[in-house]
Amino acid sequence: MRLLVLLWSLGPLLWQLRTSLLRPEALVAPLREGNPWTLANYQLVLCGDPPFWQYLTNSTLVGLATTLLTLLLAVPCAYGLQKLRGPMRWGVGLALAAAAMFPTVLLFLALLEIARSFGLANNLLALSLPYAALSLPLAVLLLRAAFADLPGELEDAARLEGLGLGQRLRFVLLPLLGPALASTAILVFLASWNEYAIALTWISRSDLLTLPIAIARIGGGSVFTIPYGAFAAATVLGSLPLLLLVLVAQRSIVSGLTRGAVKG
Amino acid sequence: MAARPPFSSLRRQPAVVGLLAVLLLLLLSATGQKALQAVAAEPVPIRVLMPAPLADAVAGPVARFNASGSGVAVEVIRGPLDTETISDLAISSLLLGEAPFDLLLVDVSWLPKYVAAGWFVPLERWFGPEVLEAMEPGARLGNGLGEHLWRMPLTGDTGLLYWRTDLMPRPPRDTSELVAISRDLQRHGRVRWGYLWQGRQYEGLSCVMVEMLQGFGARWWDDATARTQLDSPQAVAAAAWLDGLLRDGVSPRAVANYAENDALQSFAAGEAAFLRNWPYAWREIEKGDGPVKGKVGVTAMVGAPGEQGGGTLGTWGLSLIKGSPHPEEAVAVIRWLTGPVVQRQLALEQGYAPTWSALYDDPDLQRRAPMLAVQRQALQHPQLRPPTPAYAQLSDLLARQVNGMLTGQGGPEQTMGTAQRQSLQVLRSLAGPPGSGPADP
Amino acid sequence: MSAPTVSLLLMLPALLLLASVFLYPLLRYGWLSLQASSVLTGLVPVPNGGANWGRLLDDARFWTDAGQTLRFALCSVSLELLGGLALALLLHRPLRGRGPLRALTLLPWALPTTVMALGWRWILNDPHGPINAAIRSLGGSSYGFLSTPATTWFFVVLADVWKTMPFVALLLLAGLQTIPVDLEEALRLEGASRLQILRRLTLPLLVPYLTLALLFRLAQALGVFDLIQVLTGGGPAGSTESLALYAYLNAMRFLDFGYASTVMLATFLLLLVSLGGGWLLLRRHGQGHATERAA
Repeated sequence: MRLLVLLWSLGPLLWQLRTSLLRPEALVAPLREGNPWTLANYQLVLCGDPPFWQYLTNSTLVGLATTLLTLLLAVPCAYGLQKLRGPMRWGVGLALAAAAMFPTVLLFLALLEIARSFGLANNLLALSLPYAALSLPLAVLLLRAAFADLPGELEDAARLEGLGLGQRLRFVLLPLLGPALASTAILVFLASWNEYAIALTWISRSDLLTLPIAIARIGGGSVFTIPYGAFAAATVLGSLPLLLLVLVAQRSIVSGLTRGAVKG
Repeated sequence: MAARPPFSSLRRQPAVVGLLAVLLLLLLSATGQKALQAVAAEPVPIRVLMPAPLADAVAGPVARFNASGSGVAVEVIRGPLDTETISDLAISSLLLGEAPFDLLLVDVSWLPKYVAAGWFVPLERWFGPEVLEAMEPGARLGNGLGEHLWRMPLTGDTGLLYWRTDLMPRPPRDTSELVAISRDLQRHGRVRWGYLWQGRQYEGLSCVMVEMLQGFGARWWDDATARTQLDSPQAVAAAAWLDGLLRDGVSPRAVANYAENDALQSFAAGEAAFLRNWPYAWREIEKGDGPVKGKVGVTAMVGAPGEQGGGTLGTWGLSLIKGSPHPEEAVAVIRWLTGPVVQRQLALEQGYAPTWSALYDDPDLQRRAPMLAVQRQALQHPQLRPPTPAYAQLSDLLARQVNGMLTGQGGPEQTMGTAQRQSLQVLRSLAGPPGSGPADP
Repeated sequence: MSAPTVSLLLMLPALLLLASVFLYPLLRYGWLSLQASSVLTGLVPVPNGGANWGRLLDDARFWTDAGQTLRFALCSVSLELLGGLALALLLHRPLRGRGPLRALTLLPWALPTTVMALGWRWILNDPHGPINAAIRSLGGSSYGFLSTPATTWFFVVLADVWKTMPFVALLLLAGLQTIPVDLEEALRLEGASRLQILRRLTLPLLVPYLTLALLFRLAQALGVFDLIQVLTGGGPAGSTESLALYAYLNAMRFLDFGYASTVMLATFLLLLVSLGGGWLLLRRHGQGHATERAA
């Protein structure tokens, strides 16, 4: 059973790994014949123009900037929402849930216009603005649930000690929020790493492409056939950071979603 | 109902922080290296976006141009093979307002759209009327719009009719002969199918329709009223002829799913007497070792009896992008790439039709490029696709309707009636009330 | 300052950004959908008296795509819910190596869609992909999986299920963890079989999580874009084109921003209707379970 599940989940990826290690002529040969392994595909991808790690760096930069910005905005918002009472709280919560579900591709045209009129095109840091907005709803909902889990007496005690709002957040609440922040950060990072429609319309310079766009271009932008070996190498390289992240942070992801998911 | 998570501890946080730190380091090292690269640059760089096959075809001449010490370094960006995909790529760059290239190789059917969007610089400052007059009549079409010249043509391709020299003494002169010859050959079991063409729901079917509409005396687009005329009796007759090919078995039903390559493959395997395709198909047939190699003739597209037929114009040309920092140097590159030297080489090596009349008169080229005479003949009466910026939408809905007819979802009259109604709707939605938009792009 | 004011101030920056990224586009589309804004107007908006909406009603391509998108969403979401439930039940059981197993099954969800969309294109390649290679080595002849509408459609759904099933499983796993173990134990002592426990205890308690997964996935699937753009480009002959892809083409290929906005708004409305329908359906279903339990 476990094996079957693993085969289903990893099979296609393992096939990519195999493809990436084969010589081009072995790709079109029948399955059983010999195994002429090679690292040439990786060399090709890493020495391309621009080299592949450029896309990895671009995606990383956008991901980090987005994560930082999202957390900066989401923490106060979640705290405020948690303290809010009455219909406003309900309304904002519902609006956030609706925004969290919204398919982002439907936003691209208006965002393209914004990018053009404010000169935000071809700028990786600017790209993190819409990305932060796309991640905010989920982040706020997750963090609000985390705030709700903190015992209320703790903050009351801090208030009695004479600590201001900023100090309470900074020294009392946030340290306790560590795990929730970590899991939120990972989810935000993943979302921005994988985003497609907006990056597709905001970035046109090939040295600024993020990973999903760069990879899609290999498919749509090639001559007669797709260079599948090189492409497979690109997918393996692009998957490795995520594999690491997921292995390291698996529990954070599960617990993060568990906590906030249904409350929204 | 808060789900109590395994709130475990901060134990795994260092790992996450460490990972982020590593990624950050990677990032910093990358930006540093980039700054170093930006130091050296001398000759003026001119970047040209082209579909990959043409980019490969001009690679040699470009290398020679760069080596000639003109102070310009041409960099050809190899775009996707598919015409629509490369247009998407160009548009997504141009829409953002900063094009990463100076020159674009433009298909004749895109030009009105790009010009209307205001992305090109007029070229008449550099190329006077006498330049185009040295070209074949068909090659002069589709480069100017309004008062301006927007494009210098590099190739003069048109749709052609391929026929089997081993099955008939001479090619058909009109559509009736084409059908008669086909049915005769089929009846005698000499060939399985009569005529193969492109019936799939895509732009290629629109090209077929352009030829048929013209060949039956109909018009798709009326320049004077800026409207379509798809429901005229002649247009219905053209659609009915195509429909009849399938119903009478002159063309296989599968034609409704054929693009250029599918039709070519089947024709090259000897399954049919006639094929509609672009000039490149001849090289493909001759370079293989198939059953029809050496038994294929090419002629201009036929029309109905008494009507002037003609192939759809499918030319490529270079346009200058507005905002290019080096227009003078870019124009020099246009001049070189569209010049006779490069065109001669393209004709010899890839079978692309030249645009310059002088090249068609060149006896040496005539000898080495046997298709030249037919290509020149086809350039005398080529058919333009509707020269409107809305062509892409009009083409999409016509191809959809006609493909529906070919797969049995409606008769010719209903098909063309619907296509006309929807076309007018599209134009209304695109242009607003009459007279509100700018009259001339 | 009163507490609500402080709360609002704290929320303000986030809400402003959200409004400009979510609310502004919808308003803008509403306005643009009443304008001609295309190459024929020089990309300048000009009112066209609702012609875009009239065109939408008669646009065969829009309605075909709407049907295809809906069919895709229903098929892939129901498969994801079923598969996700099974996966969640498996991952919930105390197994050896559950942690790494969870992480590895999660991986397809964590990868960019485009990466595996191209991966699938290679796997389905005619004639060199592994499936066709296997067919040929068994003596068959290779098959163009991505050039026939039916098979193409099947593999688009499969690729989507492959990628998002782990996500559904994750949500349901969260739900499973809220079910008290002693309740399950009590039922078991009463002699209930595994299937009975699933039907009478687990599923009813999972309903909120199933609802959430259904609504979320339905919304995402109705907006499917990158998977289709990379895997099939909408082909063959438009048979896998989704509404989002059509809206994208209208804007980026046809430069018809008025109509693109109309298509996007229409897609959004369709989405609201479908989500409302899905929600009602599940609610009635949930109530059915509740009464069953009460009886």
